[in-house]
Amino acid sequence: MSAKTAVKSPFSPEQEKALEGWTKAYPYSNMGLVEALRSVQDWNRMISPEAAARVGEIFGLPFNRVWGVVNFFPTFTIKPTGKFRVGLCHGLSCFLKGSDKMESCLEKTLGVKKKEVTPDGKFSWEPMECLGACEQAPALQVNDRLQGAATEQLIAKLKDLK
Amino acid sequence: MTKILTKHFDEPKLHELETYKRLDGYKGLAKALTMTPADVTAEVLKSNLRGLGGAGFPTGAKWGTVPPPDKVPGPRYVVVNADESEPGCYKDRVLLTRAPHQLIEGLLIASHAIGAKESFIFVRGEYQNQYDIVEKALKEADDAGLTKTCSIKLMRGAGAYISGLDTALLETMEGKKAWPRQPPPFPTVAGLMAKPTVVNNVETLSMLPFILREGGEAFAKIGSPKNGGTVVFSVSGHVEKEGIYEVPMGSKLRDVLELAGGVRKGHKLKAVIPGGTSMPPLLEKDLDLTLDFDAIRAAGTFLGAGGMIVLDETADAVEVAHNIERFLTHESCGQCTPCREGSFWSEEILERILDGKGTAEDMPNLTRMGENITGKVICALGDTVGVIARTWQQKFPEDFKKRIPHGQAS
Ligand SMILES: Cc1cc2nc3c(=O)[nH]c(=O)nc-3n(C[C@H](O)[C@H](O)[C@H](O)COP(=O)(O)O)c2cc1C
Ligand code: SF4
Ligand code: FES
Repeated sequence: MSAKTAVKSPFSPEQEKALEGWTKAYPYSNMGLVEALRSVQDWNRMISPEAAARVGEIFGLPFNRVWGVVNFFPTFTIKPTGKFRVGLCHGLSCFLKGSDKMESCLEKTLGVKKKEVTPDGKFSWEPMECLGACEQAPALQVNDRLQGAATEQLIAKLKDLK
Repeated sequence: MTKILTKHFDEPKLHELETYKRLDGYKGLAKALTMTPADVTAEVLKSNLRGLGGAGFPTGAKWGTVPPPDKVPGPRYVVVNADESEPGCYKDRVLLTRAPHQLIEGLLIASHAIGAKESFIFVRGEYQNQYDIVEKALKEADDAGLTKTCSIKLMRGAGAYISGLDTALLETMEGKKAWPRQPPPFPTVAGLMAKPTVVNNVETLSMLPFILREGGEAFAKIGSPKNGGTVVFSVSGHVEKEGIYEVPMGSKLRDVLELAGGVRKGHKLKAVIPGGTSMPPLLEKDLDLTLDFDAIRAAGTFLGAGGMIVLDETADAVEVAHNIERFLTHESCGQCTPCREGSFWSEEILERILDGKGTAEDMPNLTRMGENITGKVICALGDTVGVIARTWQQKFPEDFKKRIPHGQAS
C-alpha cells in the first residue's frame, strides 16, 4: 500500500468532494488552498495536523507548506473555537468607544476567557483587529458576519443563537 | 455637492441589476466595449483617477505598464482588492453592500482595457455579508450575459491585514503565506502566477463606469489638479455623525468634519487621522488643509484610504500609539527583522509608559528605533511601525511626559 492511501482521511466523502472542488475552482489548483482551509475550519472549528496533511495530499502539496499557511492566517486555529466564534474589534475606533468594557462583558456573559470555549462547545470569543465597521464601534461579529455595535443587550442576546 | 459613487444611495434596491441598469448602469461598459483597450486606458489617464486603496497611484498609468497581449501572450488578470482592513476604513464595505454592480461594471471595464479574460474579486473573509451580496450580483450579471467578455470569480481571505498589500494579496491568492514580495518585478509585469496582473481597489474600480459614460475630462474637472473626481471618506471616532461622506478631491478637512456633524458635543478637537491609523495625525491648525493625495503630503501625512478617525481631548496619545503599534505587531508578516522586532519593542515600550514605568530613555529610544525601521524594510507596514513610534510623541509630547515619572530624557 502506498504512503498516500495508508492515511485514513479525516474527512467525510462529501467533504472530500468539496475539497477536491477547490482544486478546480480557479485556473491553478493552489489558488483554492485558502478557500479549502476555510471549509475545514468551518467544519471542525479548527485545523488539526491530520486535516492539514490530507488537504496537502489533495492539493499535491507537502504538509509543511499547508501547515505554514494554517499558522499564518488568524482565521485558522489549531485549537477549537466555539460553534459561534465571536469577534470583538479592538482597533483604534473601537477602542475609543470602549471595546475594553465590552471585552469584560463578553467574558462575564459567556463565562469564559478569550479564546476559550464554553463547556457546551457553543461559544468562544476573542478580540479582533479592525473589522471594517468603525462607524459601528465597538464592532462585534459572529462567524465572519457583522452584528453591529456591541452593547450589553447585544451580547446578552448572543445566548439565543442556535 | 457632486457625488459619483454614492449618488443613488437613497435607492433601496440599488444592489439589484434592474435598478442599477435603470440608473445608467452598464452604459459605461457598453461604451468601453466600442473602444479599443488603448483608448479606454487613455480616457482613464485623462480622468486623473488615482488609486483609492491607499497609495494614490494614477490608475491609467498603472494599466499602461501591462505588456500588451501581442508582446507578452497568455493570460492576464485584474484583481479587485476588497481586503479593506486598515483601522478607520470601511468605505469599501459600504460600496460592496450598496453598489455591487458599480464595482462589477468597473471591473469589466478594467479587464477590457488590459485584455483580461478572467478576473477576480478578493474579499476579506470577515465581509461574509458583502461576499453574499456580490455573489448574488455576479450571478445576475452572468445571467444577463454581461460577463461574456471576461469571467469573474470570487475568493475570500483569512483574516490577515497584510493580505491587502497588492503583492501579499497575490501570494494569498496563490495559497501561500501573505508575505509581501520585493518588487521589481511589479504585478503588472509578473503578478498572479507570474502573469501580468492589475490590482485595483474597490473604490477605484467603482469610479470607472462614470468615467467611461461621462468622459475622463468631466471626471477630472470635479477634482483638484492631478486628482480627479471624488473620494469617499469613512469617518469614525469622536464625531456626531459617523458614516461615509463622498466629497470632491481637494475638499477641505474642515468640510468633511462638518459633514460628520463636527466633534461630539461638549468636546474639543485633539487630532484627526486622515486616512487610517497608518497615517500620522493632523491637528486643529490643519483644518483648512486641502484633501487630495498631493496637497496633504505638505502636512507630513497621507490621504491613505480615507479612513478618518477624529479624536477629542479625552483621547490619550500614548494609548493611541500603543493601540496602533499593537495592531502592527499582530499584523507584521515577520519576514523583515526591523519590522518584526521593531513593532514588538515599540509596543513593549509604549506599554511600559502606559503602566507608569517609563524611563527617561523611552522617548528618544522610540525615535531612534523608528528612524532605524522606516525605509529599511520590504513594505509600507514596516515603514509605518517607525512612523507611528515617532510621530505621536512628537505631536503630543505632554501626553508622554506626564506618564513618565522621572521626566524628560537627559
Ligand atoms: C500594509 C498595506 C495594506 C494594504 N491594504 C489594502 C487594502 O486592504 N485594500 C486596498 O485596496 N489596498 C490596500 N493596500 C494598497 C495596495 O497595496 C495597492 O496599492 C492597492 O490595492 C492598489 O489599488 P489602487 O491603485 O486602486 O489603489 C495596502 C497597502 C499596504 C502597504
Ligand atoms: S515590512 Fe513587515 S509586514 Fe512588510 S514584509 Fe517586512 S516584516 Fe512583512
Ligand atoms: S477599528 Fe473596529 S471596526 Fe474598524
